[in-house]
Amino acid sequence: MIRPFVEALRTFKWEPFRSIDLVEKLGYATGYARNFLSQATRQGLLIAESRKGKREKTFRANPSVVKEIVLKGGKEKEELLEALGLHSRYTGEYVALRGFKVVDHDPDLYRLGERALSDTEAQDQLVITNVGVPRKIVTIEI
Amino acid sequence: MDTGKCWDFKDDEQPPYPVIEVTLSSADRKVTISPKVDTGFNGSVAISRETVRRLHLTPKGTVLVRTATGHRETPIYAVNLSQQDLAVTYTTLAIGTERSLVGRRFLENKTWLLDCKEGRFCIVTRTGASEA
Repeated sequence: MIRPFVEALRTFKWEPFRSIDLVEKLGYATGYARNFLSQATRQGLLIAESRKGKREKTFRANPSVVKEIVLKGGKEKEELLEALGLHSRYTGEYVALRGFKVVDHDPDLYRLGERALSDTEAQDQLVITNVGVPRKIVTIEI
Repeated sequence: MDTGKCWDFKDDEQPPYPVIEVTLSSADRKVTISPKVDTGFNGSVAISRETVRRLHLTPKGTVLVRTATGHRETPIYAVNLSQQDLAVTYTTLAIGTERSLVGRRFLENKTWLLDCKEGRFCIVTRTGASEA
């Protein structure tokens, strides 16, 4: 489920898209696209929206899944950060994300933490992580 | 230079190792622990799962750290760290590890005495004469 979600995120970012967009831009079969949209919406990865006067629903990536995926870590986190285009801009740094938005970044984890934690508002949505291998990596020799 | 507050080495492993007492707090909990002083750790503080549980902390993120055996992804937590003998209190990111540690970032810009003969780790204070 995460793979097509990341592909959709890479292609559409946080803009709304339709089932037909998955078929036309990602080459998905119609049935696969519908199945993915239904499952991803149920799992909270996507938000379904009905446009006034339009029969067809649109979908967009749910920003709250960013924190969830980052906290899980591993390959999915790396794929998410790559899909968000962060590898090209912030490799070797730490980033503070609120949803899809980079609110702050720094090569030094503690400097970033100091700034990010001083803003007590919206702390719950904030998530901090590394992009690639940090230039100033934390080292624990145990 | 004068010796200030000292902490006895912990001897639950051999040879005994230096520790320093720190108080960590979250929004609604406070714990005082004596983490190992680990100069191989370049961060500020690392906290064990037990400390995370006692403070009811939730991760602020995950970061890649380098250990003796390779790279590993680990959770990070926001904690308020205070050490009354150093008169310091600040909010920092703590690294989630197997055991609690204080690292070089915590120790920097202060003078310390690592007294392996007496088995104690002490704050060293500079007297006025030696500063001049």
